[in-house]
Amino acid sequence: MDFDSDVPMEDAVQDQLDPSLGTATAFVATESNASSNITQLDEWIDQLSKCQPLSEENVKRLCKMAIEVLQFEENVQPVAVPVTICGDVHGQFHDLMELFKIGGPCPDTNYLFMGDYVDRGYYSVETVSYLVAMKVRYPNRITILRGNHESRQITQVYGFYDECLRKYGSAVVWKLFTDLFDYFPITALVDNKIFCLHGGLSPMIETIDQVRDLNRVQEVPHEGPMCDLLWSDPDDRGGWGISPRGAGFTFGQDISEQFNHTNDLSLIARAHQLVMEGYSWSHQELVVTIFSAPNYCYRCGNQAAIMEVDENHERQFLQYDPSVRPGEPTVTRKTPDYFL
Amino acid sequence: MSEPISFVIPVKRILTPEDLTKWGESETYKKLNAFIERLATSIKGLTNEAETGASEIIDALLAMLDGIETILSQHPVVEDANTSRFGKVEFRDFYDDVKEQVVGLLAPIVQIYQKTAYGDPTVELAAYLSESFGNRTRIDYGSGHELNFMALLLCLDELRLFVPEDDKALVLKVFIRYMALMRRLQREYWLEPAGSHGVWGLDDYHFLPFLFGSWQLYTHPNLRPKSIRSQDMVDMFHPKYMYFECINFINEVKNVPLRWHSPMLDDISGVKTWAKVAEGMFKMFKAEVLGKLPVMQHFLFGSILVVPVGISEKGDQDDDCCGHSLLNTWGDCCGIKVPSAIGASQMNKQQGIKPIPFD
Repeated sequence: MDFDSDVPMEDAVQDQLDPSLGTATAFVATESNASSNITQLDEWIDQLSKCQPLSEENVKRLCKMAIEVLQFEENVQPVAVPVTICGDVHGQFHDLMELFKIGGPCPDTNYLFMGDYVDRGYYSVETVSYLVAMKVRYPNRITILRGNHESRQITQVYGFYDECLRKYGSAVVWKLFTDLFDYFPITALVDNKIFCLHGGLSPMIETIDQVRDLNRVQEVPHEGPMCDLLWSDPDDRGGWGISPRGAGFTFGQDISEQFNHTNDLSLIARAHQLVMEGYSWSHQELVVTIFSAPNYCYRCGNQAAIMEVDENHERQFLQYDPSVRPGEPTVTRKTPDYFL
Repeated sequence: MSEPISFVIPVKRILTPEDLTKWGESETYKKLNAFIERLATSIKGLTNEAETGASEIIDALLAMLDGIETILSQHPVVEDANTSRFGKVEFRDFYDDVKEQVVGLLAPIVQIYQKTAYGDPTVELAAYLSESFGNRTRIDYGSGHELNFMALLLCLDELRLFVPEDDKALVLKVFIRYMALMRRLQREYWLEPAGSHGVWGLDDYHFLPFLFGSWQLYTHPNLRPKSIRSQDMVDMFHPKYMYFECINFINEVKNVPLRWHSPMLDDISGVKTWAKVAEGMFKMFKAEVLGKLPVMQHFLFGSILVVPVGISEKGDQDDDCCGHSLLNTWGDCCGIKVPSAIGASQMNKQQGIKPIPFD
């Protein structure tokens, strides 16, 4: 089915209730079933917006619903303007709430997140649960791409695994989410002009159509085009370079020029790197880095930013500082097993 | 005099989970673990200022660290807002300078060795020392770099340069001196945490000062693990105890309360006794440092710290630098243009076995 991105979209869950559209195949639901799903989702969103995690059972139900939506999205998910494009969040839940205050509430504002919802911060579980619930509730209003941290291997090193164990007492929720991550789209194309992805370009990808041909439903591989899209970084040096990260590549301005020319793009928007002002241009404004976690790791002192793109492709950056954190964390102290 | 040992350039060898299992059963693993436990128990109940005997080798190690601090002073950060990494690029000049001067820095130590033995272990010691201060390319530092410094000390122990009386000084003088140097490096060059678990780890950079620090407090009559929650206590005791110094450092660099940025340390503060903390630190060190592939895949094996038996032949794939050997200068192989075909084939050569990347 063709996706006409110029038509103003309503919520997809609502779309399914509209028999005139007749194209909703994502999940066939009876009217009562769909509305009970909406009620359920609204309850979860309400709970999560207070930074209270869902029960394991509800995470399971949420992930199942999310797979039903995400599996039908494309590797290069089309997104219409206007849209607000966001970078890494890394479990900084209260700063995500600040982001929605600055950018306007979803679904009134359309959002595109470029990955890295989990790891490092205190509230990865609440952050990713909230964004996934919003995605299922408003599938055409919010797009959530996969970042290099939405991976089984990386989350075991950088904190999400530890957090799930700590908050749920087992790895079940970690397993549910990391299984879900396999379905996240890996790139998005805003009005055919702005190519959005977490990391950057790949020496094995010359055209956007080549991204469409990838089989994305898998753990992020250690190498190859899918890995590169989630791991690469722009660099001042020309050409391709070995990435110091041990995955992906660095790519120079010549590479960005060629890619944008070949694919008739105006811009590559990506995240993946801490930038002190929250956004940073590279390659003479062919590439922009957006980072949406202020005072990253509670110590970096950086600003965060999001990029609004309006109907005329005018861009505006909104910067923000860390939100005021309310009181103490709600998690009670628990002695780690090593010290029992 | 003993027979001369033929020393070799240490290389990385651990790559797969199977390798890691073999490492956990190896002689080198047992030696490293026993060495750290021996040092920790030697300072049980002692403050940073406790009396330790003086010896030639301890003085030589302290002088070496002073020399490295001098190098640090020669590479101040020049303000430059346009770097792509968070860390300050002047760290690379410091790193290169240490590498260039490493033979001279180690010379007094090697001379002590050569009073009683043949051979020149510089090449092995240099490898561990050079990698004790962080990663040149990524400008980051983690518990694996800290472990390299302990590996250097273990090499000297294996070469019989220490007597039992040196143990206390190895922690209370040498390790504390190393920590002071590391804190300065972390502050000056904004070193990024390597492989950090974020708020769910013990600390962005270090493990061992918590381990050694808890052994210092093992027998303390008044201080409790929960004392770290009080800033007054931290202010009062950080000059005397490594554990409190760590809390003090974290409170200084993080700008929200401890419960937010360090829930793990906060959880540990609920443990009743330091004895429990100290014993638990041994278990945690084995599991979270020696037992973790992302850390151990960078560990170097030579003729002193020998590679575990039966480990895969593949290895020494330097993720920092195109797989070239440590002898190469970094500038020669990094940053060159890699046409996509070469890049792709280089990736293919590794046949799917790659070190876990850095985020």
